[in-house]
Amino acid sequence: MSEMIAHLQLGFGVALSLQNIALAFAGCLVGTLIGVLPGVGPIATIAMLLPITFGLDPVGALIMLAGIYYGAQYGGSTTAILVNIPGEATAVVTTLDGHQMAKQGRAGVALGTAALGSFFAGCVATLVIAALGAPLTKLALLFGPAEYFSLMVMGLCFAVVLARGSILKAFCMIMLGLLLSTVGTDLETGQERMTFGFPPLSDGIDFAVLAMGVFGFAEVLRNLENPETRDVVRAKIGRLLPDWNDIKQSIAPVLRGTAIGGTLGILPGNGAVLGPFASYTVEKKLAKDPSRFGRGAIEGVAGPESANNAGAQTAFIPLLTLGIPPNAVMALMVGAMTIHGIIPGPQVMTKNPELFWGMIASMWIGNLMLLIINLPLVGLWVKLLQVPYRLMFPAILIFCCIGIYSVNNQPVDVAFTALFGLFGYILIKLGFEPAPMLLGFVLGKLMEEKLRQALIISRGSFMTFIERPISGGLLAVAVIILVIALLPSISKKRDEVFTE
Amino acid sequence: MSLNKIERAQGLRVRSQQDLAAGLFMILLAIVALVLARDLPMGSLRQIGPGMLPKAFAVICAGLGVLLALSSLRYHGEKLSGWSWRGVIFVLGGAVVFGLTIRGFDLGPIKIPQLGLVVAGPLVVLIAGLAADDRKIKELVIFALVMTTFCALLFKYALGLPIPLAPWLLGI
Amino acid sequence: MKKLAIGLAATFALALAGGAQAQSKYPEKPITMIVPFAAGGPTDIIARIVGENMSKTLGQQIVIENVAGAGGTTGITRALTATPDGYTIAMGHLGTFSAAPATYPGLKYDPINGMQPIGLAGGTPILIVARKNFEPKDLKEFVAYVKANADKVNEAHAGVGSVSWTTCTLLKGQLGVPKLNAVAYRGTGPALNDLVSGQIDFMCDQIVSVAEQVKADTIKAYAVASAERSPALPNVPTTKEAGLPEYQIEAWNGIAAPKGTPKEVVDRLVAALDKALKDEGVKKRLLDLGTVLPSAEERTPAGFGALIKRDADKLSPTLAAAPK
Repeated sequence: MSEMIAHLQLGFGVALSLQNIALAFAGCLVGTLIGVLPGVGPIATIAMLLPITFGLDPVGALIMLAGIYYGAQYGGSTTAILVNIPGEATAVVTTLDGHQMAKQGRAGVALGTAALGSFFAGCVATLVIAALGAPLTKLALLFGPAEYFSLMVMGLCFAVVLARGSILKAFCMIMLGLLLSTVGTDLETGQERMTFGFPPLSDGIDFAVLAMGVFGFAEVLRNLENPETRDVVRAKIGRLLPDWNDIKQSIAPVLRGTAIGGTLGILPGNGAVLGPFASYTVEKKLAKDPSRFGRGAIEGVAGPESANNAGAQTAFIPLLTLGIPPNAVMALMVGAMTIHGIIPGPQVMTKNPELFWGMIASMWIGNLMLLIINLPLVGLWVKLLQVPYRLMFPAILIFCCIGIYSVNNQPVDVAFTALFGLFGYILIKLGFEPAPMLLGFVLGKLMEEKLRQALIISRGSFMTFIERPISGGLLAVAVIILVIALLPSISKKRDEVFTE
Repeated sequence: MSLNKIERAQGLRVRSQQDLAAGLFMILLAIVALVLARDLPMGSLRQIGPGMLPKAFAVICAGLGVLLALSSLRYHGEKLSGWSWRGVIFVLGGAVVFGLTIRGFDLGPIKIPQLGLVVAGPLVVLIAGLAADDRKIKELVIFALVMTTFCALLFKYALGLPIPLAPWLLGI
Repeated sequence: MKKLAIGLAATFALALAGGAQAQSKYPEKPITMIVPFAAGGPTDIIARIVGENMSKTLGQQIVIENVAGAGGTTGITRALTATPDGYTIAMGHLGTFSAAPATYPGLKYDPINGMQPIGLAGGTPILIVARKNFEPKDLKEFVAYVKANADKVNEAHAGVGSVSWTTCTLLKGQLGVPKLNAVAYRGTGPALNDLVSGQIDFMCDQIVSVAEQVKADTIKAYAVASAERSPALPNVPTTKEAGLPEYQIEAWNGIAAPKGTPKEVVDRLVAALDKALKDEGVKKRLLDLGTVLPSAEERTPAGFGALIKRDADKLSPTLAAAPK
């Protein structure tokens, strides 16, 4: 314990220099501003902004990058709440209740809850990393392909709970997401799959393209049809910050979300993506009145947003202690560190203690900055909703186009997004909800990869998933979730099964 | 006796247009996927081939589609209505035009030169803006110019992203 | 409104006047260097380090444009089909320039005859690494073990077309076990994770990705596939010393331009690259990455072209025959 305090002292000594505080502030601000652009999630933001950190010393650069990361993460949630466009997979859940809250004139409350929940989760996660970073590393190593596959199966069972309305239609969306995830070059054989022989599809469908199409563009189309509903959003601004009642309602979800997100974040191969979904599932199941979810329940924002931020932070653990990036954002951080001459690995902690502890301390400072920057900004974001919709959506569109283009500098990505916009519009018209599809899409890629890896290693024996204790346990949880999710509908009359 | 039972007693007919269309849509997508994946080898359990999961997912999609279509004959649901093609054409068209003009495109015989953000930006705002019922052309034109200038300053200069501005005019 | 229009017109007129000047002195506007991979990857890092210094020499900014896709071939295709005026160049690597023709049958560019090489920016040694408790103790035992237990051993790679896949396929071809169990991962990170935790047995990868793990003793390295030992890991023998001399491969990164780029432009770029590689700051940053600085010969278009062809000849037969 005293050791940890000494370490944190060292870290804060480094991070609290005037220059580094300024860098953390600048990083958070720029990250928020870029991350708030529709469709531009943390990965794209960091990739775009990486070059502006080149002139700095390594510690300063990493502190600024960490700021950009948290800023982008929070900025993505802002877009999800205000205009219903998730910048990345972890913000999909936030659109469900966050945007509904915005429609009810509670956008400020949703944004404030997200900021406060994220701040709390960030504080806890920082302490966890400082205290338990090294021992927790072992958790990452316990997860082989078989465990990971079972975890993904569990994640897909969560998706059923996301369903609003027909469970059968939610299943359809999950399977469609899985099907879409198999488009592109096969990882193992290099064969092109379902690409129409079209080269831009050979790397598969980009998440940002799909998400912006089915959420962003399709949402614009839906709003253009119903002028009344979008005007309601403008008419009501409501309170800017959560009041005591909101906070009381959010405390328990924030605590649970932090625990869930923090744990899943440590896992290799983007476990963090499951955090918000898992948290949403738990909150919906624990709620006295689950039907409020999807209609602007504050717990549906508080829990997942905390899980999101906790996971975003604990994802640093495998990187800092093992030198292995667990997901694409962390891989980008490796690149950033490498550019500054630090190659992440198990020895960073002993060889560059100022850097290691400075960065951990800066995580907390970054979270604080995020709160300081965003609480005053909440008013500004909410005011944006007052822009007449006839000007708002062309602005969303030009930002979307530039954002999507900038991710890969590929103009054809913009056209694809439009195509998925049409696809999303058709889905809406047919009464489908696109959120489970995005989850299926994100998990599908990982699931196939891990399934095939596990079966090659086990030489084709499915028993490997049951024999390995962690994997077997996860599958058992998956079955239980599914049973709990379906029980209420089974116990009702058969007539109502499909319309629960 | 519940309402549904009375309905059922009246025999099979389409009770939810939306669900029927949704089911058929799922089946259609599954068929497209199966056709596209027809040549991909399934492999074995020991070495799963590239075709195994796409085909499996497609078959399940088709199965769910059939269920959905059948259920539309039994349970009441929504009608299909209110397709707004104007929004689809202008909004999505605007985005496509942006993609075609930002750095040029070869569409077989048609060659679109690299026009850059100076042209693509106002185009996407103008075309998309036409989709609104309450559009005001003058306001839209000014807004398009302001947005483009703002985006150019933000992305190109403040952030240094490699977005072509107007290669034919400014050389960058 | 009127004022705005006049202002705009004036700006455009000014810009036109600027653009109309004769293109006498290259470069007179920013140069785009296409990196065919995402920002932050090994190729991107080298491009940014070298590009920053070259910008100073050339007096114009080199803008890095990341155009990722299809194992890097999307970006290279775009660069090589651009106007050959020296304002679009590319940083490619072993995969995009030497291995791609054999890996991607429908490739739309020809790195041997349809491209103007500029020069090599740096070589990255390839290591053969294994999980810590893998039975063979050295490279000789490893070769014998893999041959004898071809059915038991699992190899990891970062996907078809990646450097680890390319170099390991070459190794498996040379060992006569092309059908060894290959476990594909999406990127080096997850593969390394499973190597550290002992789920898989061995892989081949660039020194920059695995050196820290080897130093920390969480995985072991059998050999480095270069002519000389790497200063980053001086205790790891070369394949020559350890008994597999034919396995020689490096994952290099180099700059190329479209075919038909004027000679004086090529000369300017070659000189700028050479100057960057002589700069102490650049040298230190590259060496920190475990990069091998190119020889004077390899920094020239001819030398770089010869390297591309040599590695293409070496890789093509095994890659074309690899089980896909």
